[in-house]
Amino acid sequence: MEIVINGNVIAVPDDLQNVTLLDFLRDFVMLTGTKFGCGIGLCGACTVHLDGVAARSCQTYVSDVIDVEVTTIEGLDQTSPGEGLHPVQQAWIAEGVPQCGYCQAGQIMTASALLHRNPAPTAAEIREEMNGNLCRCGTYDRIRRAITRVAQEV
Amino acid sequence: METTTKMKSISRRRFLKKTGWMAAGITVASFVAFPVVRDKIPALPTFDAPSDKDGLTWIQILAEGRVRFYCPRMEMGQGAALGLTQVVAEELNIEQTDIECILPDTNQTPPFQMTVGSQSIANFFDPVSWAAAQLREVLRAGAAEKTGLSTDQIMDGRSGFKLPGGTTIGYAALVPATDVIITDNRLIENDNLKRYALRPTTKHQTIGQNWLHHDLTAIVTGRMAYARDISLPDMAFGAVVLPPSFGARFVAANSTGAMELPGVLGVEFDEAAGFVGVVANTPFILPKALDVLNVEWQIESDFGQEQIDALLDVERLRAEDDFTHTLDQSGDFEIGQQSARHRSSGRYDTPFAAHAAIEPRSGLVWVRADKVEVWCGTQDPFFVQKRMAKILNREAEDVVVHTHRIGGGFGGRVMCQASEAAARLSAKFNLPVRVQWDRAAEFQNNYFQPGFSHFIDAGVSKDGFITHWDHDAVSSSILTGLAPGLIGKAIDLATPDQGTTRGIRPPYEMTNKRIRHSAIRTPVPINAWRGLGSAPNAFAIESMMDELAFKSGIDPLQFRLKNLPANRVRLAEVLRKVGDMSNWGQATLEDTGRGLACAVYKDETAVAVVADLTIDHAAETIKVTKVCCAQDCGLVLNPHQVESQIMGNITWGCSMTLNEQITFAQGRVEQDNFHLYEPLRHGSSPEVNVALLAPPGTPPAPVGESALPPVPAAIANAVFAATGHRCRRLPIRYEDIFAETG
Ligand code: FES
Ligand code: FES
Repeated sequence: MEIVINGNVIAVPDDLQNVTLLDFLRDFVMLTGTKFGCGIGLCGACTVHLDGVAARSCQTYVSDVIDVEVTTIEGLDQTSPGEGLHPVQQAWIAEGVPQCGYCQAGQIMTASALLHRNPAPTAAEIREEMNGNLCRCGTYDRIRRAITRVAQEV
Repeated sequence: METTTKMKSISRRRFLKKTGWMAAGITVASFVAFPVVRDKIPALPTFDAPSDKDGLTWIQILAEGRVRFYCPRMEMGQGAALGLTQVVAEELNIEQTDIECILPDTNQTPPFQMTVGSQSIANFFDPVSWAAAQLREVLRAGAAEKTGLSTDQIMDGRSGFKLPGGTTIGYAALVPATDVIITDNRLIENDNLKRYALRPTTKHQTIGQNWLHHDLTAIVTGRMAYARDISLPDMAFGAVVLPPSFGARFVAANSTGAMELPGVLGVEFDEAAGFVGVVANTPFILPKALDVLNVEWQIESDFGQEQIDALLDVERLRAEDDFTHTLDQSGDFEIGQQSARHRSSGRYDTPFAAHAAIEPRSGLVWVRADKVEVWCGTQDPFFVQKRMAKILNREAEDVVVHTHRIGGGFGGRVMCQASEAAARLSAKFNLPVRVQWDRAAEFQNNYFQPGFSHFIDAGVSKDGFITHWDHDAVSSSILTGLAPGLIGKAIDLATPDQGTTRGIRPPYEMTNKRIRHSAIRTPVPINAWRGLGSAPNAFAIESMMDELAFKSGIDPLQFRLKNLPANRVRLAEVLRKVGDMSNWGQATLEDTGRGLACAVYKDETAVAVVADLTIDHAAETIKVTKVCCAQDCGLVLNPHQVESQIMGNITWGCSMTLNEQITFAQGRVEQDNFHLYEPLRHGSSPEVNVALLAPPGTPPAPVGESALPPVPAAIANAVFAATGHRCRRLPIRYEDIFAETG
């Protein structure tokens, strides 16, 4: 079995087909940008894109993603045209969003999927879409500013 | 916990040599002894505040003229490293690209104070600025020597100096080929040392700028290495079975099933330590291995919430008139009571709380014959170093702790229990071993914020002045919360806990007052949580202030200003400011309310907040829509970072007020994940509006927790404004307010 992660084909050993995508990414592919927070789909720290749609990798099994393009935070910049970081990553830096930073890969993956689907979300849509991503440091206000910044730039 | 400090002289030169600290370049070093504390007594957190000379081992000029700053503060999002980097840059006339900031491992600097209590900027500003200024002057002397000029002909330039006639000389040209340690006799007397960080803010070059944190790019690209992200080539993967309840004793386990699983390398029991762990060559088998271990525990305690509540019951203590410490007493509050035109009394309770940082802790440890290496995220690497040495029966200097950015600290990351487990397993199996906690372990095996129970009786004269203030409080000791049994009890009798009582003395003028406090230990492990006692104490005080204002028919803002003593100018200023920002006094709509509260954190940082909220009957929720905050924390090194901290504290404050509560049943914590303990989510987070003010020339004051204390009371006061319902118990839940009315 093979899966595609950030455009790379990865062969999955037989005994790892039923582990979570999160564990597979972190402990087999050694892509550690995707984080463990709760393991039950409640915090969003493990968010990745499956065919461009935000999904919780702790609630996804490797066998679920056979015909799916998996994108992690490490591959996000490849999904935007041009050199350099993805516009959402750039906005995150410009607004100085992160505090401890641990939740931020998940926040950025959720926000970039939202903006991909809906380039000009309303304040209410931002709140609703981002509600599944916990940030204990309390960066929500800055996250809203960063998302709004991207929306205004396009 | 004032334990004797053992002073041991180690010359800086010896330290620097021994640890291989010196890169090619110039290091300023001082032969003053620095304390290596408490190496024979039980491992304790590192309390000692730094002295100026400690700063000298933190800053170094590298051969190419760049500056390296070993930041003596652990990074967990508070951004102290960045602010202190700006101080170094200010003194050395360099820009952000000229300086690298490193979180030091334990072998890269002498021990420094643990990163807690918002002390980073307040305590470290001075030593860092002093040391950087010394280094600059050493370089200036070097330039003088090299050019044959006198030092006063050598003017400051960017990353170097300007010479008469317009030529420049960069720091790089002043670094000799071999390492140089500059010793005490080259240091400049304090009176003659120019400190650029201390000049008026208008003259500052880098202080006060919004430098962005040097880790941002790594964070947003997923390349920042937190402790959980570290691996070594041949490491093994460990997991532990944690006790099912507080104090449970390990009895037996069956390792046969686990040993038969593919990849399992071994199982380790240590009855005395209550330790059960398994090691495998793959992480994927661990859940199953833990499952089949069948550990048998002897339950030592099955206490529940009622027992804890009964212990921490202020009314019981009042009935018995039995408080250990009178923290403050003046006048005669009985006379005050008689002169009161309006009186109010009430009991205020706040629950136990968890840190709930998003990163569950993790440790990677490699125990070898000559050296022990630990990779972890901790607020006190030197404590972890001592703990490791103790568990492994080694010398502390054999242990190196590699520090990593922490995925949220909030006081919960002084201990590093996962690393301790990894150390036991690594010692046994002779491999580097990684142990990671999951969410349930994180919720149930750390220490907690204790519950608080307050009773306040107070009154107001016909002129609107406070006539008396009778405040009794009970909680558990925080700073000494982990001291064992009898020692803990003895400490509680001897002295009131500085953490639990933080902020319990109101900033207002009150002639007749009595403030009493008792600390009672429960079976629940207690230690630091954001702001310690400051938020629970301010909740009681500032709720009562609102009640008094309401009863006497005075606007809450005016009532506070009226009752502040003349020396509380800075608090009065932030109160007025937050009034302006929020249009205080304007009418509110139905089902909305606004509340005000203020506090002075650690007697240094003055903060006032106004919270706006909406009662959403359809969703049956209380939603804080907007919070305005005015803060005076003295000199601000980086306004963006300070504003971020304020936003974080306000979010935290909304969360503790509306959502958070740890409860106990059968000797264990009932909450094990975010569905049962849910920090405030994005959809419920308020818009935050911040103003920073400070009189000129004031030194930096604490920031990391300062905006938290007034938030819960501001929200409770807003709930009263919206509903007429006085909430004296946290968390405040919609159903508790509208229970009877439906
Ligand atoms: S780890 Fe997947 S949602 Fe929390
Ligand atoms: S930045 Fe720390 S949890 Fe979000």
